Amino acid sequence: MSTTSRLDGRHRVLAVAALGLALLGVVALVLAFRGQPGPPQPDAAVTAGEAVAPQDATVPGPAQPQPAVPAAEPAVDFGPVMAGSTPVGLEIPAIGLDTDVLVPLTVGADGVLPAPVDYATAGWHTRGPMPGQLGPAVIAGHVDGPDGEGIFYRLGELVAGDVVTVTREDGTVATFTVDSVGRYPKAEFPTSLVYGNTTSRAEIRLITCGGAFDRTTGHYVDNIVVFGHLTA
Amino acid sequence: MRSRLKIVTIAFGAAVVLPLGAGSAFAADADTTAQLAPVALNGVEGSGTAMVSVEGTMLTVTMAASGLLPDAPHAAHIHFGAEARNECPTAADDASGDGTLTTPEGAPAYGGIVVSLTKSGDTSPDSGLAVDRFDTAPGGEISYERGSIEVAPEIADAIASGKAAVVIHGVDHNDSGAYDGDVMSELDPALPTEATDPALCGVLMAAPAGGVATGAGGAASAGTDQGLLMAGGALLVAAAGAGAFAARRATAKV
Repeated sequence: MSTTSRLDGRHRVLAVAALGLALLGVVALVLAFRGQPGPPQPDAAVTAGEAVAPQDATVPGPAQPQPAVPAAEPAVDFGPVMAGSTPVGLEIPAIGLDTDVLVPLTVGADGVLPAPVDYATAGWHTRGPMPGQLGPAVIAGHVDGPDGEGIFYRLGELVAGDVVTVTREDGTVATFTVDSVGRYPKAEFPTSLVYGNTTSRAEIRLITCGGAFDRTTGHYVDNIVVFGHLTA
Repeated sequence: MRSRLKIVTIAFGAAVVLPLGAGSAFAADADTTAQLAPVALNGVEGSGTAMVSVEGTMLTVTMAASGLLPDAPHAAHIHFGAEARNECPTAADDASGDGTLTTPEGAPAYGGIVVSLTKSGDTSPDSGLAVDRFDTAPGGEISYERGSIEVAPEIADAIASGKAAVVIHGVDHNDSGAYDGDVMSELDPALPTEATDPALCGVLMAAPAGGVATGAGGAASAGTDQGLLMAGGALLVAAAGAGAFAARRATAKV
């Protein structure tokens, strides 16, 4: 007599039920752990208090003898600076991004820079410098939309040295080199560092969302900001 | 008794007045940026940006512009007027109808001089025409950086609230390569009007407040689902119990 045949009907039902329950349990556990990975995140969250300007530090060297002839008033050198021209395209080869659409983003009455309406389109901050001009030009884009990845989904993958190019209406191209990538809680957003008078050269800021997604508010808790400067 | 009451009254009055003064002097921290664009009618093909950060009543100004008459002094100022429109002038401001805009014609738009962006020395309106201390735009370009510019609290507030404009002056209307012509400046009869006419203008706008809402969560990291985790665990425990019971009954029957 086999073991199975020794089970009467009631016990066979019990055994099948046990097997079924076990299968359901395993499926539930697999589903529980199978979360989608989410957008790439820069390594360390930086708090606004610790934020430092991602510029070349000017370290005072040892005292130098004064030149015999008194120099003229020291000229201010901002490095390369381009004339103003509306940005019309953005290319970031390191993350396979190439778009010929940039929408204008105009700060509203609430003082907040709005995100582009379209999740697949980046926009530029019209009250700031245009990319290539002196100061921090700002381009913002979504990390995702309700149904999937946005244009800046992979922004958090960028590292120092990556290249960002902005094509402008006058046909010229502003080429920026990434200096650093930071992640900041929106509640402690370093406004001056991102938008302010903290640069003495032409720079760029690429902004998207990062960190955890708060399903209660419908917003990510952090912003990822890529800092770069004009190199050509 | 009467004199003591008087002293108390004075002290009370001072206590009320002082905090107000101190408050307005430190309420204006802001980062502002102006897109400098050609002034209407004056035909300068230039552009630039000016950034002014306000800390209390202290300004730091960083400015770059190009497309200006090279090697000629370009007076540059922050303008503001309580009665002005707080914007850059338009063709409609050409009161004389001569087809160009002079600095006084632009005043209804941007107001008077509140800060002179000199390279050295005084920065008050008194230095508005101190042509020897302004940038001479070698190659047509201005690169300007100056900190620690002290202003009155109401000026700091006006700048922080987006009501001030940066104006760079000096226009070569007749393309002669120098400031000349028969028309003299209304501001200084010793200077041609070309030397003081507004070339580039931009309103200093406050930086955005905070970050940007650039995500809707459609591709957010889902992580582990606590509900499913507990359900799965419970199902496995139930399966183990049912299995054990079935096995014991089977064994008992032998």
